[in-house]
This record gives sequence, C-alpha cells and structure tokens, in this order.
Amino acid sequence: MQNKSTYLGTIQDVTGTTVSVTLANESLSGLTYVDGEGYRIGQIGSFVKIPIGYIDLFGIVTQVGASAVPEKQVMNQPYGNRWLTIQLIGEGQRTGKFERGISQYPTIGDEVHLVSETDLRRIYGQPNKPHFVKVGHIAGAESISALIDVNKLVTRHSAVVGTTGSGKSTTVAGILSALSDSKNYPSARIIILDIHGEYGQAFRGRANIFKVNADKKSGENELYLPFWALNFDELSQISFGLLGIEKEKERSALIEKVLAQKEKTLLKYAKKGVTKETLNVDSPIPFSLNQLWFDLWNETFYTFYADKGKKPTKENWAYEKDSDGKDIIGDALSATSPRFKPVKNVKEDDEKIQYGTSTLNIRGQLETLGSKLRIPRYNFLFHPGKYTPELDGKVTNDLDSLLKEWIGSQKPITILDLSGVPIDILNTIVGVLLRVLYEGLFWSRRLSQGGRHRPLLVVMEEAHNYLNDNFKGIASNVVQRIVKEGRKYGICAMIVSQRPSEINSTILSQCGTFFAMRLANATDRGHISAALPDNLDGLTNMLPILRTGEAIIVGEAVKLPMRTIIEAPPKDRRPDSQDPIVYGEESEENSQLTGGWGIPMETNPNFEEFLEVWRAQNPFPSRVFTKEKGVIKSKSKFKKK
Amino acid sequence: MERKKVTSSNIDSIGYDEETNTLEIQFLNGSIYQYFDVPFAVYDELMGADSHGQYLAQHIKGKYRYVKV
Repeated sequence: MQNKSTYLGTIQDVTGTTVSVTLANESLSGLTYVDGEGYRIGQIGSFVKIPIGYIDLFGIVTQVGASAVPEKQVMNQPYGNRWLTIQLIGEGQRTGKFERGISQYPTIGDEVHLVSETDLRRIYGQPNKPHFVKVGHIAGAESISALIDVNKLVTRHSAVVGTTGSGKSTTVAGILSALSDSKNYPSARIIILDIHGEYGQAFRGRANIFKVNADKKSGENELYLPFWALNFDELSQISFGLLGIEKEKERSALIEKVLAQKEKTLLKYAKKGVTKETLNVDSPIPFSLNQLWFDLWNETFYTFYADKGKKPTKENWAYEKDSDGKDIIGDALSATSPRFKPVKNVKEDDEKIQYGTSTLNIRGQLETLGSKLRIPRYNFLFHPGKYTPELDGKVTNDLDSLLKEWIGSQKPITILDLSGVPIDILNTIVGVLLRVLYEGLFWSRRLSQGGRHRPLLVVMEEAHNYLNDNFKGIASNVVQRIVKEGRKYGICAMIVSQRPSEINSTILSQCGTFFAMRLANATDRGHISAALPDNLDGLTNMLPILRTGEAIIVGEAVKLPMRTIIEAPPKDRRPDSQDPIVYGEESEENSQLTGGWGIPMETNPNFEEFLEVWRAQNPFPSRVFTKEKGVIKSKSKFKKK
Repeated sequence: MERKKVTSSNIDSIGYDEETNTLEIQFLNGSIYQYFDVPFAVYDELMGADSHGQYLAQHIKGKYRYVKV
C-alpha cells in the first residue's frame, strides 16, 4: 500500500472520465507532508493518483469545494463541502512506464492519493534519452526537468500561444536553442519566418539571416524569392493582380505567354528534369518577365498607320518620336515602355492611325506591373540578384543554390526576416516561400536532403497576420496543406501567435502539441480549449493566471500536460521583443539602462540619424562603429574636424 | 572595438575609438551601446572615475546620443 500520508480521499462517483472524490477527514488541514516535503491538498491543476491493482490511474484536479458536490449530496455533508472533481488522463505501470489513456476505470471506494515529487519524477523524468529535449522545469518542482519528445514535437506540429508580454518569443527562443544544440542535433534544420526581425539577435552564430535590403556588414544575406519559382496563380496575383472569372480570356492568354517564354528558355538552356513535353506553366523555369511585359505592352497598346487600308505589321507601328526624331520603342530590360501615337482619322489628312487589334483588357495591369518592375522595393522578387533571368532566360544561379542557402547550410537555423516585405504582399510571399519549401521537400522525399530524411521545422511567428480566415491569401492554404500532410514529407510547423482565435481553425486543430502561455481573452481561450488534443477544462481555466514565462504544455510531445517554467535563454540571446522600461528601478550608478523617462533628455537630439535609419530600413545608422569601418578609416588617414 | 574590463556594479567593459570618437559600453547584462561623438577627455575621466557607473550616469547618459548594437 502507498504511503498513508499521501491519502487524500475516496471516490464516490465516476462519470466518463470525470471522477468525484470526498476528501478524507484526516486531510482536513489542507497541508500534508510526504517524505518531509509539504504539499497543499486540492490545488487546481495538481495531479492525483488512484492505485488499482497493478496500475496507477492518474488524474488532474479540476474543481474543489461546493460546486464539486454531487447535487443529491448537498444536504448531508458531515464535514462541509469537501469534494474534488478529477479528470482522468492516463495510467502508469508499477514499473514506471506511463501512458496516456486508461485501460480500466476506478470505482466507488477506491482511494485517491496525492502525487508526490517521486511520482512526478516517474512520469516526467526520462533518463537522458537524446530524443527528449529539456525546455525548462515543472512548476512547483524545480528539480524535475520538463522534457519534450522531439519526434512528436516536430512531426506532429505545434502551436505557441499567449498574450503579448507573456513570454512567447522567449519561449520560442528557448525551445529553438535547445533544438539547435549542435551537440545533440548536429543536423537540425529550422526555418523561422520572422515578421518583425526579432530573432537575429537571439540566434547569432547559429543562424543564417536572410532579409530584404540586408545589412551585409552585420552578416545578413539578401533575401531573394525569384518570381519564376512562383506558380502561375501566385505570379499573376503578385504581378497582375487577381484575374477573376471575368478575365478568363486574359488569363488564358497570359498562361500561353508564360509557357512560351519558359519554352524559349528550355530550348536554349536545357534543365534537368523537365522537357518540352513535360513543361507546364507552373514549372519553376526561369524566363524574362521584363520581356513578357514588354511584348504584352506592345501588343496591347500599339497603334498603326492604317492609311490605304494597311493591315498592322510591326513595320507600320505608329511610334512617337523623341527630340532626336527617333522612334520611342522602349526597352524591355529597364522596363521602359514604348510610346505610340494616338489614333487619328481626319478627312483631309492622309495619315490614318488606328488602334491595334488586341482584344486583351489588361491595360491597367500592365501599367502596374511596369512600375513594379521599375521600383526597387520589389527587387527581391523581380530582380533577385543572381537569380534574375536575362531576356533569353539565362540565369547565373539556379534555384538549387537558393534552396541550399535556405535549408542546406552548415548552420541549423535559417531566419527569413520578412520585415522589409511590403505588407500588401506579405501574405502571398509567406505562402510562396512555404509552397516552394513544401514542394521541394515533397519531391525530394527519397533523397538524403529531402524532408523525410532530414525533417524541416518551420516556425511561423505572428501567424495571425497571414493565417487568418479573412484572407483569401495563399499562405493559409499552404499551411493547411503542411499541417495536414506535411508530417509525411518531413515539413513541420510551429505556429506562434498572440491571437489564436484569428487563426484558421483547421490549422490550429492539427497542431499536436500546445505551449499555452498566459491568455486572458475569453475568445482566444475558447479557441484553444477547442483545439487542445487533451480534454482538460481545468487546465485551460488556468491560462489567465499563468506567470510570465510559464506555459502549460499539452499534447503529443509530453506524457502528461505539464505546467512548466520555460528556461529562458541568457539575456543577450533573447529575441528583441522585450518591453521597454519606462523608469528604471535601480539607482543611477547601478542602472544598466541608458534611456527611459528617468534620464535627462539630450540637449540637441539627432533626428537626421532617426530619418536615415527609417529611409535605409535598417536599425543601425551609418555612423555606428564596426570593425571594417574602423580599418578603412585608419587606412585613408581620415581626420576628424 | 576592443573593450577593457572594468570593476563596476553595472558595467562589464568599456572601449573607445579615437578616430570616430565612439565610446562603447557593455553592461553586465550583456547589452552593448555605442555613444557617439564623446570627446577623449570624457572617456579618460570615465576610466579614471572612482565609480564608473556614477560617472556614466552623470556625464554621459542623456548628454550623448547612442545606439544599441
């Protein structure tokens, strides 16, 4: 028999997985000692144990006191309302193995015991198996590590949810730094979609950072997403805008054009894996979008000299003349459009100019695309460095080197910093990034670098921004595919959000493991309770009162739901998302604060740098001292005024 | 920039670049700041002060602009 001091009470009622228990008279004091350690009786969320024969059933306390009393019993309570309600969760063999689910029910009269630290250790404590990763320790039992099964965590997808300031980013950083530990996992593969550029700081040394308008000095790489890696729908959405049903004719014409351009490339530069016969409009084959745009522009806008009933041929197109008398024929490479004369049909004048014969109604779209091709903001997409196709489709680097940079480098983590991506196309870009990765890993599933043999964990920060139901965007679609089928091909999602209620519910319900941090909003909480893989009301009720940095981990990656204090990474390795401190608590000579409202204002604040960094979209002004700069300046004998 | 270790209740190390008059401070919590256009004399006094933390608070914080690097 168990130690009598752990005895709590006796089962009176069993309904499904809910068990009602009367507390024993001996445990009236509310505090009991087991092996010299004090335990409070009847803490919501604490575990209890019901020994039956060779196994122990485990449950979690969800309710204590008056409302836990079965209705008919209310009248005859000798010791007041000393009842507990328990949710059963699993069973443990006497040998120490613990499993979810129960093979037999307890019955009336069975004893209920407190779970002591020794028991907890039996449940949670995994003897240093390398596929368990430590993310912190159990709340209330500092000596017991909170261990997570890496296999289940990665392949079954996970979600980290919590209000702003509940320690979400720090938790993610903590988990990822455990996962990217090269000692345990020398070829871990993690991609972070970093919407706010927070994670570079936390993982420097372990991560390659890709960013639009990268700061090469601080070791960032330029993020490129070649437009020709996009499928037709994505491409047309980004370049032409949505072409709906009413534009079916234009859509088909575009498909023809794109296909023709890709075919042209293939003829000249053969690509392994695709032939003229297997080529389709979605194949990732480089082609010149500039050329395509230029051709379309000409076809759509041209006018021609139609005197004496001439038919339009390229020779009689009616170009405007520039000041030197030359035709303004435009230029594909620089996306300069040609200019055509307006139509003219005057009786006395022999010169007749007519509109071309194009029936495509895409004038507006062509204007937009032209400007997108010209402005630098879209360069990461339309002029992606070495991935930019020349007019005949030749590229210096093919997609393999892009994928190698992203998922084949020596560093375990790749951060795709999307803070410079125009917000109107963020959703599409995230979708495209993920689809490219998904398709790549899907088709390479038999290769050693494929997803099945080296799974990829994709961390989606601020997921409510692009996995929203309201968006008809492609991100949500791709992620749905990833969470439903990605498991099989080794592409796995970790979804991080402060607004779980805004995330598409299919996506959330497919997540096997939840790290639920403090969450006060009732809608969000409801959404989470509905999506949780374990049916534990008691646990979700605790969400509003969790401390910062504390999480309830529920789901496949853990044996039992655990309330965990997440082990934060060292201070200089935390994401850049801490709250600013308005007024420091320390005295001025001890303060490590440099700003805040408590320190006098600079007499002549420099807002030129303020503007410079905004314009440069880079938080460091050029004035900042770096090693290279120091060297250059000393070489050029630069003297200060 | 090379920084010299100092004994202080809040500062870990201090560095200075004469070419650009940049003062670099690393606090004990690991964060690094660069103060711009700090004259050499101020750096010198900071290094010589009895309490580096106090000197920093009184003569540098709020007087010179900085960037967190």
